[in-house]
Amino acid sequence: MLAELINPYYLQVASFILINIILGVSIYITLSTGQLSLANAGFMGIGAYTSALLTLNFDLPIIVGIMAGTLLAGVFGILIGIPTLRLQGVYLAIVTLGFGEVIRVIFVNWESMTKGAVGLSGIPHMGRELLNTVKDLGFDPKVLGLQNNQFVFLAIFLILLAVTVSIIAFFRRQNRSRVGRAFAAIKLDEKAAESMGINITYYKVLAFAQGAMVAGFAGALFAHVLAYISPADFAYHRAVEILIFAVFGGSEVIWGPVFGALFLTVMPEVLRFISEYRYMIYGLIIIIMMAVRPQGLIDVNILNWVKLKTSKRRQKHGTSSQKSM
Amino acid sequence: MVLQVKKACKNFGGLSALSDVSFSINQGEIFGLIGPNGAGKTTMFNLITSMFTPTSGEIIFNEDNINGLKPHLITKKGICRTFQNIRLFPQMTAEENVMVGEHCRSKSGVFSSVFRTKSQRQEEERIRSKANELLEFVGLGGFAETVSDSLAYGQQRRLEIARALASSPKLLLLDEPAAGMNETETSELFRLIKRIQEQGITVLLIEHDMPLVMKLCDRIAVLNFGKKIAEGTPAEIQNNPDVIEAYLGSEEEDMYA
Ligand SMILES: Nc1ncnc2c1ncn2[C@@H]1O[C@H](COP(=O)(O)OP(=O)(O)OP(=O)(O)O)[C@@H](O)[C@H]1O
Ligand SMILES: [Mg+2]
Repeated sequence: MLAELINPYYLQVASFILINIILGVSIYITLSTGQLSLANAGFMGIGAYTSALLTLNFDLPIIVGIMAGTLLAGVFGILIGIPTLRLQGVYLAIVTLGFGEVIRVIFVNWESMTKGAVGLSGIPHMGRELLNTVKDLGFDPKVLGLQNNQFVFLAIFLILLAVTVSIIAFFRRQNRSRVGRAFAAIKLDEKAAESMGINITYYKVLAFAQGAMVAGFAGALFAHVLAYISPADFAYHRAVEILIFAVFGGSEVIWGPVFGALFLTVMPEVLRFISEYRYMIYGLIIIIMMAVRPQGLIDVNILNWVKLKTSKRRQKHGTSSQKSM
Repeated sequence: MVLQVKKACKNFGGLSALSDVSFSINQGEIFGLIGPNGAGKTTMFNLITSMFTPTSGEIIFNEDNINGLKPHLITKKGICRTFQNIRLFPQMTAEENVMVGEHCRSKSGVFSSVFRTKSQRQEEERIRSKANELLEFVGLGGFAETVSDSLAYGQQRRLEIARALASSPKLLLLDEPAAGMNETETSELFRLIKRIQEQGITVLLIEHDMPLVMKLCDRIAVLNFGKKIAEGTPAEIQNNPDVIEAYLGSEEEDMYA
């Protein structure tokens, strides 16, 4: 019964949606201090290659690889974040985009390590590793009425769902704290923030490193979900795609890029014919959004409106037993 | 002596915005810094708060030489300012603006914030209630949830003062706080600055509203074209021929307005 409901293809699409949501969050974090970084595709690549190489060459457990990839991306985030502190807006975007290209070129040319443009294959697969582990422990998915590959994709989906929810919760809490206020103050008026006693260097580099870590984390997950990566996965296209999540969905609130990633990953799957024109549509989205709604679809006002609606509905439900007016 | 400025100079390219300006401010006094437009008053604030580095000269705060210290560390040492052209965080509420001001007097970091540790929750609580006290103090009691952008002009000026007070300064720098205020607002402002003084906070005030300056300040220094031309009590300043000359020389200002 369960078997018919669980379709590996849908689960895989859902998993990629979740990875894209994490990438959307990564650009949002850096943006929440007013820094537009297009380096996140590069950080994603660092996370992916680090984890893939460690697990392939040294037989390290996937989780160790993912942690190492995340940390190394964070280190690169600090290394890029510090020298670019004085750059604003477009200049920062250009420099960080250039950094992403440098990283890609290194992946292509460091053939002895990365196998060049061909990419790395046979990377340990998160779901299959988990299947082997549970089988070693004497558990058979058939008990749940699941085939092996259903189990594999379901496990991946659930793991990604859990980490995505945790990441969003993490940054929502951070936003509503002293750190989040410092980020927002820097974004709104850097000089005033500094005059109010905020160490802007520290918080800007922190945001940069956090964005890099989240992107590196997404990259490492990507490597172990797909089991195959190549430099093209982390090229300019990816950087633009991540940017579009924020431009389309909005970057005022965390739900903006989350919605952007969700919508823009689902669309080409639902409307197959669209996917051929993907990048054309991205271009159109940028132009239209900049002209009509530069803050993106989801902003504070929309969020407040949704909250109001849902709280009204809840009230209605609460009083539905009484006589309605 | 809370603040000593010794022979401060600031050049912008060929323009000498401040040259050899010296003065000192005593603990607990309200010290006025006046002068015609472009005299270098705001530039002096920018030197004291390290927004600019002086071309030469020294600034000493409570015996410490604070030259070249990063602006946020100056705030931490106990100097905070308001801006001539209001610089609130526009999309934040009044309460949030003031809470930002308390940044350097609190310490929660990423992990305590994300895991909502007990000390973090207590600190947030403390910050929030102090912010509301300060809003009350400057007369914005009912406006905690109002987005600062939509406050009236005079209210925004008072909110900036509350935000600066949130950093628990020993020395408060006010850059034209009465600008754009009507008479009632100005007299409220007068009482507010008096009450700030009563709390033991030293005030350095830039202001063009002469009656306010004369009533409020214990001592005054006058700048003209980047040079200090006079210093003394309000009575001394009012009768100083150089000062009268400087003000009559400029069209927009009228000392006895
Ligand atoms: N960042 C800067 N770069 C170049 N010149 C500057 C800069 N800041 C101020 N100046 C110049 O320095 C001089 C003093 O300016 P300042 O703002 O200190 O005057 P002020 O006394 O505050 O005047 P006002 O009463 O109009 O506010 C002016 O000639 C101004 O043009
Ligand atoms: Mg000025």
